[in-house]
Amino acid sequence: MTGLTRREVMVRAGAGAAALALPGALSACGGSDEGPTPVPGDEWRQFAGTTLNFISENTAPTSAIAANVKPFTDLTGIEIKFSQLELSALVQKVALDFASGIGSYDVIYADPYQVLAPYHAALAELTAFNEDPNLPKIQDLGDFIPTQLDAAGRFVDRERLYALPYDAPTLIWMYRKDIFEKHRGRMQDDLGFDPMPNDRSTWQQFYEISDWIRKNAKDDVPYGSGHQAKQHDSLMNDFSNVLWAYGGDYFDNGTDVGRYGSDAPGEPLLDRPESIEGAEMYRRLVSIAHPASTGWDWTGLAEAFMAGQLAMAAEWHEFAAGIESSKIAGKVGYARLPRGPKRSANMYGGTGIGINGVAPENQQKAAWLFVNWATSPETQLSNLKSEVGGGTPTRESIYELPEVKAARKPPSDMPNVLTTDAVFEAWQPENIGLRPKIAAWNECDTVIFTELSKMLAGSQSPESCMRNAKDGFESAIERAEALRKQ
Amino acid sequence: MTPSRGGVGSRIGLPVVLGVVLLWTVVPLAWMVLSSFKPADELTATTPTLSFTPTLDHYDALFSGGNNIGPYIRNSLVAAGVSTVIAVTLGCLAGYGLARSRFRGKDHVAFWIISQRMAPIAAVILPLFVIFRFTGLLGSTWGLIVAYLTFNLPFAIWIMNAFFAELNPSLEEAAMIDGASRWSAFRDVALPLVLPGIATTAILCLVFSWNDYAFAVTFSGPDSQTLPIAASQLVTQTSIDWGQLTAIGTIVVAPMILVGLIVRKWLVTGLTLGAVTGE
Amino acid sequence: MAVTTQKAPPATEARHRRPLRQRGLSFEGKMLAPALGVLAAVSIFPFIYIIAMSLSLVGLIGGISFDWVGLDNWTRLFSDGAVWASWLRSVVFFVLTVGLEMLFGIGIALAIYETRRGRNVVTSLVLMPMFMAPVIVGLLGRFLTDSTYGLYAWALDEIGIYNGDILGNTTSAFLAVTLMDVWEWTPLVALIVLAGLTSMPRQVLEAAEMDGASYWSRLRDIVLPMISGVIIVALLIRSMDAIRYFDIITNTTNGGPADATKIVPIRLYETAFRFFDLGYAAAIGLSMLAVTIIMANLFLRILKQRGLAR
Repeated sequence: MTGLTRREVMVRAGAGAAALALPGALSACGGSDEGPTPVPGDEWRQFAGTTLNFISENTAPTSAIAANVKPFTDLTGIEIKFSQLELSALVQKVALDFASGIGSYDVIYADPYQVLAPYHAALAELTAFNEDPNLPKIQDLGDFIPTQLDAAGRFVDRERLYALPYDAPTLIWMYRKDIFEKHRGRMQDDLGFDPMPNDRSTWQQFYEISDWIRKNAKDDVPYGSGHQAKQHDSLMNDFSNVLWAYGGDYFDNGTDVGRYGSDAPGEPLLDRPESIEGAEMYRRLVSIAHPASTGWDWTGLAEAFMAGQLAMAAEWHEFAAGIESSKIAGKVGYARLPRGPKRSANMYGGTGIGINGVAPENQQKAAWLFVNWATSPETQLSNLKSEVGGGTPTRESIYELPEVKAARKPPSDMPNVLTTDAVFEAWQPENIGLRPKIAAWNECDTVIFTELSKMLAGSQSPESCMRNAKDGFESAIERAEALRKQ
Repeated sequence: MTPSRGGVGSRIGLPVVLGVVLLWTVVPLAWMVLSSFKPADELTATTPTLSFTPTLDHYDALFSGGNNIGPYIRNSLVAAGVSTVIAVTLGCLAGYGLARSRFRGKDHVAFWIISQRMAPIAAVILPLFVIFRFTGLLGSTWGLIVAYLTFNLPFAIWIMNAFFAELNPSLEEAAMIDGASRWSAFRDVALPLVLPGIATTAILCLVFSWNDYAFAVTFSGPDSQTLPIAASQLVTQTSIDWGQLTAIGTIVVAPMILVGLIVRKWLVTGLTLGAVTGE
Repeated sequence: MAVTTQKAPPATEARHRRPLRQRGLSFEGKMLAPALGVLAAVSIFPFIYIIAMSLSLVGLIGGISFDWVGLDNWTRLFSDGAVWASWLRSVVFFVLTVGLEMLFGIGIALAIYETRRGRNVVTSLVLMPMFMAPVIVGLLGRFLTDSTYGLYAWALDEIGIYNGDILGNTTSAFLAVTLMDVWEWTPLVALIVLAGLTSMPRQVLEAAEMDGASYWSRLRDIVLPMISGVIIVALLIRSMDAIRYFDIITNTTNGGPADATKIVPIRLYETAFRFFDLGYAAAIGLSMLAVTIIMANLFLRILKQRGLAR
């Protein structure tokens, strides 16, 4: 399914639609015309008067752009219609759109695991647009953080690009500096190490700190830690950091499978001793955490943290914006997640935006203007500063700008930037956590977070949890294979 | 209708029962309305508070900015309303036809009709999507209206059939003997007698379409999104806007206070719903 | 299905042909035609399509494609432990929600019927929950049960009944979503039963009262039998939906914790639109339809029996 050019995709879509065996089959792909005709002149204003449909998850950069789309409309004369949906609804609509060959959405928020991996063939290949002499080029493609460009934009083929990195939330260690400072001395005496998060902090230490706070600092905070351990994608995200830290993994060659993706990831490694050890450690961590953890996704966890219910957690760094305007503003520290015997792993949750390969050709070119603009340095900076959002820029140059550098220390008018030190460390290739980018990931994701949820509820041991997960992974991959072979 | 007069037990029991019922029903609603006026930071306070400085911020946010809720309300009203009107109209006609007809397999046809309403939602989405794609209804409010008909129409036919079957045909026959056409017998004799049935059907059809989320998400486009979608959009990647959510809930529920009046007025007229029971 | 043949005297016209035939549509046929036409248009194609899907491997890339696999999806369905577990949960959920809704609905209808003052207000208030979309009810439920700021979580903790996380523990989560469903749909049952109560003939009731019968014996011997048909109708209407609806659970527990609230429609949606295993989803869907039809048939049979008994 890889290696299809835009034209091939369109032909396939048309052929597939025509091949529908039942009477009254879908008409040929896309619209009846080629889309808007380009007006010669300024390369940005070629498609003035067009309307583009952008479907996205309800995420910060999209809200920021939607609140301030005037710069784009002024630049290009193109109007944007935003459809913001929750992720599962988005995945459903995008898949149906690809299947129908209509191309109702021109710009698509291409979640690397739920949209890009299974449907990359339906996304337009972007290098062709970048090399088109009549279209504006991306400002410095090398400015995008390389790991992110690969993780969010490519699938298996290292030459083809399907999406540009749009946001980059990453799981980091958030902790109540004030509580840590207050009890630092006693903790150091009791536990035998300096509790303040540093390069050598381990998950075992995290456990001990959390337990100590729970028992000794009840006046400040009821629980030491919390987790996003709901039977939900969030559980997989939270668990993976510990899994990787202990040397376990989903598949062999995990970094490549995560960064570029794979069509044939091989046998799952979930039943290896290291993986089981990771699961056992995770179980212990949740057992002393705030009991509501098993009902929290990342939002619930953040709300509890902001309400002063826990002293620390692994949370997406983009929540800093909300935290710094809550009642614990100024009291929170940010660091890279603790390490395990193998390494420190920090889950990457970024996404790119891509162009619908099923839309008419000139509509795709107009969409290119938007994709280019939305990921440009100016737009990413303005998203950072936006009241509505709290974006997470994917370009290195943004972080070098003087005003952004200044915002890295409190008081800051761009609160997400306070996390930059932690996040930069997290993005180092040896620290970043990349989950498998495979076509079967949706089902595998469900398998792992369901089995983990059962483990946390006490109905199975870490060992059987991991074995069951492995079995589930294998069936899921088999089925995805079968679907692909059509 | 005179309710029966009870003894002492009933006199004490009734207010208690009503009290419990109202408490159970109203507390979540009251909390929702109250919360819609609370400032954002107090909404997520760990101890629920009853005293706070009320604010209209959330309502303001709902009606202003790029994502004004007005179109959503309008789309919901139009889709649910038109679908209900069509369903009730066609349902009355078909219900009457079915009730007054006599053929072998009539019961099977009737069951086939109501079984349409049992379709599991996620399974029918793809084929309906194909149909809508072919007829160009995707993304339009008319598409939603038709989608809602898939469950409202069977329902309306079935209920109206039951009401009409209850009527004694001799009334219509008498009218026809006096020279009325069959259509006139239907419209002037039978129809007025089943008004409670029409009212009940209409209310229920309205409720089912108004509440739909699955079809709305799949078949609506940027211009035809309905209120349930607006509510789900408040769940963002990083938060749930409780303020706006409770405000939407309040907006949705407030007009329904009128329904009690309608229900009382229309359901009191004498026709027994016993038709549906087959007495 | 309408059990009407008891009361209506035989038609005076000649026997009709089936109104659905093209030639010479009778009056009844013409009345039926528009509605049945619309119904057929939106239901026959999907039905055939779903059956075809259940017998194939369905692909979406490059257009919808069917790859015949025979009964593979069906054999998988019957041997899938996870789906059976979901069915078990569905059954328990169904019995609890529909059971409670019927019980409370009838009780509420009776209470409203007996109320003289403020009946309008009471009726309006009691009916309100069913006008909120299940999506909103689910989110509101989440707002009320959240450990950090939920009103109910706080209240339960203060009173001392329960201080765990309501949606984070298997049993409490199941109970919570059950009660949310009951909260929303009991008014529907109450509405239908109330319609039946207000249509009861006065004479019989007054006669019984005159004879000195107590409230409970009147209720048991006269009222309930008289509205038994209405009750079955409410049961049927609610049952058809209780099997299919899942918005409340999706917006609260998402099927968890530990699959405790993962009823069949959730598994169906997940299989169809998260895993895109549409053929298997079609099989699950058809099995749901089959169960609903069997159940509906059962209820209608009871309906018929009561009708014939009179």
